Amino acid sequence: MTRIKMTSGTTPPVTDSSTSTTSTSAGTTTTTGSTSTATPATVPLTHPTPVPTSRPQPSSPAGSYYAMSDDEEGDYNTITHTSTGRGVYIHPTPSAKDNIPGYIALLQQRNQHRDDREDSSNTPASSDLLLAWVPESQLGEAANLYVKVDLCDGDSPPKQSYLVPPPPTVTTHRGSVGPYAFAIPVSAIYSLLIRPPSVGWWWGSIIINSRAGDSFPALFFHDSECQSTILQKKKRTADTFDPFGEAGQMFWGGDEVLRWLRRYVQIERSGAEPNIYLVEPSREDSVAFGGKPTTNTAAQAGSSRGDPGAKDKDAGMDPFVKLIKEAGWNLMEKFSKVTTFTRQAANDVLDNPRVPPQMRRLLRNPEVQTLQDEFDSARIYLARWAMGIAEQSDRDRSRRTWTARDVMELEDTDVGEFELVDGANSLSLEERRRVLTLKEWKGFFDERTGRLSVTVDEVKERIFHGGLDPEDGVRKEAWLFLLGVYDWYSTADERKAQAASLRDAYIKLKGAWWERQVDLGGEGEEEKDVHRTDRNVPIFAGEDIPHPDPDSPFASTGTNVHMEQLKDMLLTYNEYNKGLGYVQGMSDLLAPIYAVLQDDALAFWAFQHFMDRMERNFLRDQSGMRAQLLALDNLVRFMDPKLYAHLESADSTNFFFFFRMLLVWYKREFEWADVLRLWEALWTDYLSSGFHLFIALAILERHRDVIMTHLKHFDEVLKYVNELSTTIDLESTLIRAEALFQRFRRLVEAIDRKEHFPGPRRTLSTASSSSASAALANAEGSKSPSPPLPPRPQSGPRAASSPAAAAATTKDNKGKTTATTMAEDDKEKVEKIVTPALRKLLSREVEIIRAPVKEGAGYPTRERA
Amino acid sequence: MSSNRNYDFLIKLLLIGDSGVGKSCCLLRFSEDSFTPSFITTIGIDFKIRTIELDGKRVKLQIWDTAGQERFRTITTAYYRGAMGILLVYDVTDERSFNNIRTWFANVEQHATEGVNKILIGNKCDWEEKRAVSKEQGQALADELGIPFLEVSAKANINIEEAFFSLANDIKKRIIDTSSKEASGGSSGVNVSDNSGSGSGGKCC
Repeated sequence: MTRIKMTSGTTPPVTDSSTSTTSTSAGTTTTTGSTSTATPATVPLTHPTPVPTSRPQPSSPAGSYYAMSDDEEGDYNTITHTSTGRGVYIHPTPSAKDNIPGYIALLQQRNQHRDDREDSSNTPASSDLLLAWVPESQLGEAANLYVKVDLCDGDSPPKQSYLVPPPPTVTTHRGSVGPYAFAIPVSAIYSLLIRPPSVGWWWGSIIINSRAGDSFPALFFHDSECQSTILQKKKRTADTFDPFGEAGQMFWGGDEVLRWLRRYVQIERSGAEPNIYLVEPSREDSVAFGGKPTTNTAAQAGSSRGDPGAKDKDAGMDPFVKLIKEAGWNLMEKFSKVTTFTRQAANDVLDNPRVPPQMRRLLRNPEVQTLQDEFDSARIYLARWAMGIAEQSDRDRSRRTWTARDVMELEDTDVGEFELVDGANSLSLEERRRVLTLKEWKGFFDERTGRLSVTVDEVKERIFHGGLDPEDGVRKEAWLFLLGVYDWYSTADERKAQAASLRDAYIKLKGAWWERQVDLGGEGEEEKDVHRTDRNVPIFAGEDIPHPDPDSPFASTGTNVHMEQLKDMLLTYNEYNKGLGYVQGMSDLLAPIYAVLQDDALAFWAFQHFMDRMERNFLRDQSGMRAQLLALDNLVRFMDPKLYAHLESADSTNFFFFFRMLLVWYKREFEWADVLRLWEALWTDYLSSGFHLFIALAILERHRDVIMTHLKHFDEVLKYVNELSTTIDLESTLIRAEALFQRFRRLVEAIDRKEHFPGPRRTLSTASSSSASAALANAEGSKSPSPPLPPRPQSGPRAASSPAAAAATTKDNKGKTTATTMAEDDKEKVEKIVTPALRKLLSREVEIIRAPVKEGAGYPTRERA
Repeated sequence: MSSNRNYDFLIKLLLIGDSGVGKSCCLLRFSEDSFTPSFITTIGIDFKIRTIELDGKRVKLQIWDTAGQERFRTITTAYYRGAMGILLVYDVTDERSFNNIRTWFANVEQHATEGVNKILIGNKCDWEEKRAVSKEQGQALADELGIPFLEVSAKANINIEEAFFSLANDIKKRIIDTSSKEASGGSSGVNVSDNSGSGSGGKCC
């Protein structure tokens, strides 16, 4: 009777070696030294089973192959070793409960005629190797051994051998004994049909085709249960940061099996059918399948990669997404516990040419590198890393081809179901998000008069959803409308006149400070900031002209004409709005406008209009920022109470970590091209003049799980959110924000119905917004240096200039708590309060905190103290 | 959880000073040993981490960087309170930034925890041809304010390490060493043993 011995290596993961009767001999092998044990053996996948925590962890993750040694004592006439992996299932029926768990193993069997050579570096003949699958239920005592082998650290020389009873050896499936258990000599395998995990097939599988012409049942790799595969993945990630298998997909159990086999036999991937791997193919077969040999020998198995071009068709799932989904946060957390994430590891990764560029970018982030030095930051680092990857994969999907389903798939929040399309609009998401080109834009205008011949809302809808073509110059035209430099219904002639008069006005305004500046000298902060604004954008990059002022701090570096223009515009704006003065962040707002319009006078006035709505961000008392952070606070509490509660527990409901985003409208969070797209969408005020807060909500929701799982303190939240910069995918964020807005509106309407108020909807007038905001700011209190507190009911007066506003006023006066339970269909009785700050978010009216006044007038903002 | 911690003390520092004096550059030099000349302006607030060793103890420095512009002071002063040490930074080539140090100092006195350690930092000391504030002036001001002083250059990597280490050392002496003498007397905000506490020294990432 044949017995099989599995050799496994290592720092024994299991101290109790007496579980196997043969362990004594195994021990001998160990001490004899490892030099004689070069024959590779196997590896296991593991088994998560019920007691993973009590199991000693290998000192270093992963491993998978050890050399196996022949049995030096020769008492057993065979065997050698193998690897096992658990979590390999047969699915005899479509029902998951019928799945049979088991182990896959590569077993080496000693030749019957005993071979005296103990030189185990000699590769065993393929006929001596058995590829076996054994159901767990049939293993009996041997199960322990499989588990042990599975858990061994493959990097160490083998110190223990294990003998196991072999499963019945067969060469065809029909001949197999018992339910499903089988072992087939590798030499009897003709090919393997290997299907990696993919979208359609969540579990990867292997089907063995025998030379006798039949197929064994598919073996499904439940890798999430397989310790050795998990370890192997972990190791790959830790050592080389390459979590991917041969063809660049996610490493999975099937790869592992291939790896074992390649140590002994030649495996050739079929060129004709990439899922087929031929085992020791004949010459004819090789020719017939036209496959290029991928690896021939064991020695190459580790180093050579499959043809990178042969990316598996089945690997339809983005490997990054796959990693995240499969590994799950559990694994991520384990990562951080092993502390393998060192700066060194990250450097190694950077040197690895196979690292995908997006990951390389992430890792090159110096802050990320610093974080890696911090042990307890690893979990957050990893969480961020994973989110970055997921975000990147969003981005990688072809732009503007989002379907509603895509978005639904993205959503895993508690916010609720998303209805993406208004009932009225039957256009598909893709159609609606088609980019607006110059040609289509021109079509909106009457050919003769140049007057808009469609409604403003139609145009805005197109821009909001589709954005303007970044290449064809339509922005240059359209932004002037969006920003209010041109009246929407003006004629071409009127616009021409308007442009001319604006140019004159700009020159005049510029002249005013120019003279004075000669006396005062110094351009101070404007200049300093211009020299650190968007210098990575080509037009602001150069320093090709000498600085006009030899005393300037920039005299030695030089400047360029566009930076000078920016500086002049900022100084001119200072002249225009003396009450405000220059505030940091303004240069960030101006640069994109100037870069797109490429005309300083028009850009100045466009900027001036933009500043009308943004001015509240720059007030000395920060009341405008505080009001927006408060509105965001209200919004999150209203839309996602669980997240809100978590932020509260993390001392983060001041939402100060959104300060930068709100101040300069996400300018630092998105790449340049995305900023342009985002801003034009926001300028439309198509759904709400406060849509930028829904962007904030969308970003929060996107990172909700990480925040709730990993971030427990304000500084952690702040750091995490700050570092989202440039990792956020815009298009999906816009879609999510819109969905959140629609949901928000429905909730408010439901509450209003409940209260027998006519829903104010978006027609709520905010003609009186100026006073309303003043009231808000006052109520909020501008003296306290601390960021806004959770919302408190407003009792401030609201001007009632329309019926809708009157309704709102009534409500406000009536009482603080417009609390109500939600609509009937909402099982959960959540108390939702529609605060004034929230109700304002339904308005499309832009809130301008001061009357547009000319030079040097006083501003209401100053009167508040 | 605290068993996972890889530091013995957490110290929070804060950088303040006029816009453009190089606060972020000093921090970048200290935390990542790099320098970027055309830096972006700091909006809002951020922090960086570096763990150093002091007398055999691992001290994790959480260094907060603020927007320098006066306009944002109402926001940034909110962060004074948690700081155990403050670096007042001026630019030796910009006299105005030097003159404003008194204002910054007054701000600290007003908003920061009493007894907070401070240090005066004159940045850009490598730029001799543009120098507008002499080292003596800097020292004189520091003496007047009763705080240590160093001229540094983030660009040339002069004295950056010394500045942070010296401040951290002072803080450690003030808070940690004294509090351990008092046998676990309430140390003001240093997370010596419990990093889950909220307090001023929340665990950072």
